[in-house]
Amino acid sequence: MKNSIASRLIAAGAALALAATALTGCSSASSDNSEKASSCEPAKGKVTLQYWNWVPGMQEVVNLWNKQNPNIQVQIKNIANNSAQQIANAVKANKAPDLAQVGYDSLAEFRSQNYLQDVSSCSSTTAAKAKFTDWTWSQTSFNGEGVFAYPQDTGPMVMYYRADLFDKYKIAVPTTWDEFREAGKKLKAADPNLAITSFDPSNSWSYTGLLWQKGATMYQYKDNKWVVSLDSAQGRQVADYWQGLISDGTVRTDLKNGSTALMSAYSKSQLATLIGAAWSYTSLRDNVPDQSGKWRVAALPGWSAKASESGNWGGSTVAFIKGGKHPYEAAKFSEWLNTDPTALKILNDKGGLYPAAKAGTNLNAFKKGTKYYGGQNIFSVFKASADAVSPGWQWGPTQTTAYTSMNDAMTKAVSNGTPLSGALPSVQTAVVKAMKDQSIPVATSK
Amino acid sequence: MTTSTQRQDEAPQRQHLIHRRTILGFILPFLIPFILFYVAPIVYAIYQSFLRIVRTGGQYGQATTTFAGFYQYAQVLTNHAFWASLGRVGLFGIVQVPCMLALSLLIALLLDSRLVKGKAFFRLTAFLPYAVPGLIAAIIWSFLYHPQLSPIVALLGNIGVHADFLSGKVVLWSIANISTWLWTGYNMIIIYSSLQSVPQELYEAAEMDGAGNIAIATRIKIPLVMPSIFLTVVFSIIGTLQLYNEPSLLAQIAPSVSSTYTPNMMAYSITTGGDYYQSAAMSVVIALTTFVLSLFFMRRTGGRQDQ
Repeated sequence: MKNSIASRLIAAGAALALAATALTGCSSASSDNSEKASSCEPAKGKVTLQYWNWVPGMQEVVNLWNKQNPNIQVQIKNIANNSAQQIANAVKANKAPDLAQVGYDSLAEFRSQNYLQDVSSCSSTTAAKAKFTDWTWSQTSFNGEGVFAYPQDTGPMVMYYRADLFDKYKIAVPTTWDEFREAGKKLKAADPNLAITSFDPSNSWSYTGLLWQKGATMYQYKDNKWVVSLDSAQGRQVADYWQGLISDGTVRTDLKNGSTALMSAYSKSQLATLIGAAWSYTSLRDNVPDQSGKWRVAALPGWSAKASESGNWGGSTVAFIKGGKHPYEAAKFSEWLNTDPTALKILNDKGGLYPAAKAGTNLNAFKKGTKYYGGQNIFSVFKASADAVSPGWQWGPTQTTAYTSMNDAMTKAVSNGTPLSGALPSVQTAVVKAMKDQSIPVATSK
Repeated sequence: MTTSTQRQDEAPQRQHLIHRRTILGFILPFLIPFILFYVAPIVYAIYQSFLRIVRTGGQYGQATTTFAGFYQYAQVLTNHAFWASLGRVGLFGIVQVPCMLALSLLIALLLDSRLVKGKAFFRLTAFLPYAVPGLIAAIIWSFLYHPQLSPIVALLGNIGVHADFLSGKVVLWSIANISTWLWTGYNMIIIYSSLQSVPQELYEAAEMDGAGNIAIATRIKIPLVMPSIFLTVVFSIIGTLQLYNEPSLLAQIAPSVSSTYTPNMMAYSITTGGDYYQSAAMSVVIALTTFVLSLFFMRRTGGRQDQ
């Protein structure tokens, strides 16, 4: 009996293998990655656009647009979970939306997988360019060619801090990373249960913002090849800096970003600062409401007293997805959505978005103080940070792999008690391997 | 005369045809979804595992998908992280599967013996964890393991025991504990139902020969339900190699669970990285490993039974 099942299994396996070999005989699906700009003609008659995103309050903005533009109706779908894979699968199945929310850090990967559409032939893109901050616009083209997305929001990094604790222990609010480290020691001396901040080794998304501030590049596209520098001198400096704080015992490494445990540590006053982005302001306000009035916002500490560079964590674009048939209308809607003052106001109120549009920084709401932060005008701090984000940053075509291997390697280093910078060579190797596996041209030198 | 014989010849043929159509009618509702949703994806995955993207003219030039032979398989088989993940689930299987099945067998024997009262209640209780979806079970257990939120950790802390269920050396066994909790009842039911079909006369005969409860269990019951035990072993081997839910949920709180902790987690992580072809090759390797192991086990145990 057993033997007969076994032999049947073997037969079935062999049949499948044969079928596979038969299929592989006829394979050569070719795709033109040098996507030429599609023509951009206005449609005759009514058009319905599909727009996938995960911004809270988006329906309200879209309702406003639909009322004003009966001929360009927009339908939205929420893709909060596994957004990148949902879009990828939809493109493969020819059911892709016209527009979708794509993080800046995913654009290069999407471009590499050929999921994006170039709308640079739309004349409206020329006017749109001037409306967005420089670094955000530079992310929407590749190797200087095309327009594949419109910027939506950004995440200029800042330091949120407990003004009451710094006052109580008479510690000056740090403006440089050196001062930050010293402040950490003083806080710990004053209260052994108080860490200056949380350093989550599995959060390479925010860590990337810190690398950005230092000018520690990850990927650069030069002469048709990618230069991968995940194990650079600057990268090591950032890693060694945080290793110093881990060794001092002044940062918590056991709190996952976005976890209940992290927020519980904040509400128990076990953490004195939050190294976050502009959009973090709602997360403190909503998760730790009883600390209202105790928090303030300051610039991200600099690498020297003179250096004012900041970093960026997160932010998204509205990307033009491959297969979209109405680039003219899609570009028109996207420009309105991301530059119109009324739209930006709703997106900021409901979605907490810090706009990428130049006009966004002049919103009336941004000129007032915020009650939770003791009436401080926090948006002026965000604006100063956004202006100090250096424009040359490039994300790579294997960004997901870079994040995953950084998370793995840095978490391993922290739990084994080995130096963070020791994790970097393995990240570099893993990323270069993933690129070569996908035939992405990599420059051999670092 | 001739016409009537012809008619006589035709009748069975037509009947045979109708008979065949009836069979087909019964089989098709199974066969069509089976081919569409079971065979086709497998064949497609095998097909994809032999492909590779080739680019000409740099990153933004021409990208072509071509037949690459065993290129992806070579990448998978030379990947240290992949072997490490296989080793991890291998160790898991060697320890967890025998422990769990011994427990299942013990419970099944107890429920089948005449010693236990309230059998229906205990049978249901033992089976109940299986009714909890695997993901939910993993979430519940992740709270019980969490260093800050767990009542168990807090209780042990009160009596001076510092417990860390998520440290690098322990976490594999914390996962094993979840699997055991989930699957013991399921395997117990398989063994138990097989015990039910043992003819009562055998026990009576054994008792006449002076066999006690333990002798009946070890000499009669266990040998007779061996085929079901083998079945649970094969199921468990398959389950072990495909470990995914529990570790990927624990990864949210356990720093030692990386994205390449188990073979399935690694295949998934390669998919999110965009390399569908290598992920397909890895899936095929995992499937083949499962297949070979199950086969090996069936062969060996099958042979032993014949002796």
